[in-house]
Amino acid sequence: MAVTTCLTWMQEKHLKTYFGEEQFSLLYKASVHGFSKEKLLDRCSHQGSILTVIYNEYHILGAYMPGGYLGELDISITLFAFQETEISKCEIGPLNPCLLFSGNNINSQFIINLEKKAVVTSVTTMEKLGLPQCCMSFKECEVFRCEDLLDKRSVDGIIELKESLMSTIRTYKPYGGLVHQIQILLLGPIGAGKSSFFNAVKSVFRGHVTNQALVGSDITGVSEKYRRYVVKDGKDGDPLPFILCDLPGLSEKEGRLCLDDILSVLKGHVADRYQFNSMNPVKPGHGDYICYPLLKDRIHCVAFVFSAYSVHCLSDEMVEKIKRIRKELIKCGMVQVVLLTHVDTLDLITKGDLIDIYKCVPVKLKLEELHREFGFPLSDIFVVSNYSSEWELEPVKDVLILSALRQMLWAADDFLEDLPLEETNRGV
Amino acid sequence: MALLWLWCRSAAIAPIQTLAWEPLYASGAALQKAKKDRKKKKERKRNLSVEGVLCCDMFVTLSFTFLSLKQAALISAEPSPNRGCSINQSREYSIYAPSNSENRYGTMEVTPRLTWNEEKSLQKLLGNVSLRLLYKSSVHGNSFGTMLNKCSCQGSTILMVYLPNNVFGIFVLESYPEMSEHLKKPTTSFLLSFQKNKIMEMTAAFFNSTVDLIDNKLRFNFSQVQYVLLRSNTQNIFIPRLLGEKLGLTYDFKSQYTEYEVFRVEGMKDEPGYINRIAGATPHRDSLLAELRAYRPYADLVSEIRILLLGPVGSGKSSFFNSVKSIFRGHLTRQAIVGSDISSITEKYRIYSIKDEKDGKSLPFMLCDSMGLNEKDGVGLCVDDIPHILKGCMPDRYQFNPQKPITPKHPTFITSPSLNHRIHCVAYVFDINSIDNLSFQMLAKVKQVQKEVLKCGVSQVALLTKVNNCNGVLQDNFLQMSESMIYKSQVRDVNMMLGIPKSNILVVENYASEREMDPLQDILILSALKQMTRAADDFLEDLPLE
Repeated sequence: MAVTTCLTWMQEKHLKTYFGEEQFSLLYKASVHGFSKEKLLDRCSHQGSILTVIYNEYHILGAYMPGGYLGELDISITLFAFQETEISKCEIGPLNPCLLFSGNNINSQFIINLEKKAVVTSVTTMEKLGLPQCCMSFKECEVFRCEDLLDKRSVDGIIELKESLMSTIRTYKPYGGLVHQIQILLLGPIGAGKSSFFNAVKSVFRGHVTNQALVGSDITGVSEKYRRYVVKDGKDGDPLPFILCDLPGLSEKEGRLCLDDILSVLKGHVADRYQFNSMNPVKPGHGDYICYPLLKDRIHCVAFVFSAYSVHCLSDEMVEKIKRIRKELIKCGMVQVVLLTHVDTLDLITKGDLIDIYKCVPVKLKLEELHREFGFPLSDIFVVSNYSSEWELEPVKDVLILSALRQMLWAADDFLEDLPLEETNRGV
Repeated sequence: MALLWLWCRSAAIAPIQTLAWEPLYASGAALQKAKKDRKKKKERKRNLSVEGVLCCDMFVTLSFTFLSLKQAALISAEPSPNRGCSINQSREYSIYAPSNSENRYGTMEVTPRLTWNEEKSLQKLLGNVSLRLLYKSSVHGNSFGTMLNKCSCQGSTILMVYLPNNVFGIFVLESYPEMSEHLKKPTTSFLLSFQKNKIMEMTAAFFNSTVDLIDNKLRFNFSQVQYVLLRSNTQNIFIPRLLGEKLGLTYDFKSQYTEYEVFRVEGMKDEPGYINRIAGATPHRDSLLAELRAYRPYADLVSEIRILLLGPVGSGKSSFFNSVKSIFRGHLTRQAIVGSDISSITEKYRIYSIKDEKDGKSLPFMLCDSMGLNEKDGVGLCVDDIPHILKGCMPDRYQFNPQKPITPKHPTFITSPSLNHRIHCVAYVFDINSIDNLSFQMLAKVKQVQKEVLKCGVSQVALLTKVNNCNGVLQDNFLQMSESMIYKSQVRDVNMMLGIPKSNILVVENYASEREMDPLQDILILSALKQMTRAADDFLEDLPLE
């Protein structure tokens, strides 16, 4: 029989956010371990900071004890109760936290009687917590140890993983040696974070945050030119085996960046820094037009880029446009993945969540939304958190960025492997 | 040479010790054991005194070993958040001393010593679980009684024991019992170890065990004579050779541990036999992979067999190819474009060759992917295209036309296909969740298709995709479909619908929403592929002599 908590992911998350903790480990559950003060203290003493949660038929309330049950120490205790998704609180103490479980002259503000399955509060406490009465029965009591997700142990492991990913990417060789560098096209609405993603990738290999590609929230979109960004390994290092290609953001308005332009980019006809003209799609005769592109000039993987905070307000026209583009890409045999950027802007998501980001409920919902709207397989959608206000790197963000990049390289291998023989005969 | 002889001699002694070892079931046995121990000491001493010269060599060897172990311990010692905490080993309960690693509340940090990467390896082994620290001996004390106060009735747990050069883990599926009880009923468990070498390495061995707590000894009994023993008073762990062989130990293992921790294992799939399945999954998967790599078509009549995937839009044909390729590649791949759409994503005929790993050689089978069937005429795959595909006339990448079949006049039409070009096995692909909702028109179209297949004499299998519980399909040894399979009714429906034998109705879950490879999922896919190779062999064997 598994010993699990009654808290939902959202309830747990609200408590974590409220008390500044990042992980709860269940130590005691009254319905399993016995409604007994002695049993609770046996399991929960000397465990660090403690969160005690009481489940009434209609209410969830409890007490947060920094430092936990330690015998003789007096501490300030924060009582709390859920009000829908809000939390009301009441500070008591300093007092010995063991006194919460037995009434006496010192503490009459909040008493948990496990044997009787009842909690008794003072009138003041009741009012501050928004409870309906001073004496309430409860059906369950759980006690958690509070922990930090990003302690030294975790960060060391994440840094090790980051180094491993960087090494894998540095030594990557495209399938069959057909090209030296993979070209990845970033495609998405204005403000989705395409240029931001390039900056993030470059930052990881540079070792600090950089901003080579201009980014901003200007409604007209900052990127007007086609850019082929080479990423170096370190400040003066060798070029890495991939190039990130950035197009102006997609817009609902017709003619800003038309489908023909995108197809030309895919085939490798468009030169670096080409200025797109809404009136004239790129065509032979332009000074920079590449008439006979080689395999290395082509796009080998397309990444659709969406921002987590704006994907739900895409207009119907934009959705339709993206679907049309996707259909054309499929006809070209182009392998596609999806990037969901700015994941830390989602409700309740904090840095510690990035460690296991795909298990977070708000992220799951967002991925399912993309799957439903556009038909992308869930396994083809990767989540990243871009750099915006930081100066220095965060390993936990780097791991997401590098993992997504590695998937793109694998996708490009699939594209190259799928090419007809006659197309691979063209030299690099 | 002398040293070699010494080591051989040491090795020769080990079996005697093993045989002499007896379980401690009664105080009488304990007394006898004490006597035998005394006798053994005398014998050992006598040997040493007789072999005067060798005695010096042995001493030197032992000293060297001791120094090496000590150096290794110093080198491999990791910064511990509880460094500076002194434990009085002569007492049952420790006196807590001030520590260098107090947190912001001035109390002991209760954080795992298990490294992050070791934790990740464990999580993956157990099926993507979470580990929650319940007990830490450097904080809570060495006593197993105190440990049981915190760790009994907590569900599945794993005990991690930290030694200078190893970390041992003992997983127990059932809860530890309350103090003074014994876990009499055998429970699934496994023993694992991490070695602290340059490359993190974990090996695991699965057993059933009972758990005893006797005075200051915690014992995991795997059989009458095989048990792991921990002593809290001396902080020693004992693992007998026969038990430890699967972990790479070649001798009775005794060592002092510095600390132990107990974690609750959360998120275990709550199904009988799940742990046993995990234990057998990876070896079986590897064996299937090896078998398929080594497969040779019947009588070497062709170099590769061709398996044609036919089925309604969205049934998972292209996903199946991607999944097969992913297994041989070792990570998720997406060569065939898939996705949700009303019309078929696949619009071209594709003959997919699969390489063994990224730059390996081609495998002896090809998967042929087609446009999805649609219940309406003039939409989806044209039924009149089927004979041309089966005979091997349709070229790779042919753009299907739902309203008109390919003709011999097409520029790349293969006019004289050889046996290599032909289809050797047809797999009808259905979403297992849509079997009950197949429309009359779709069923009629599938029958139409089948008619063409039967006319050509090609072997047939059915592939049911999108099961959401891999664990309930096969028997525990993965060799047969389970009698109590939860998809029995769907298999029966297809059996009656198409007349395909149940043994050729295959159940899989493609990789479409997962982010990690899973050996249980691999086994279903590879088993299906294996059945397809057998079906193709049947076809080849049945060919008339020409």
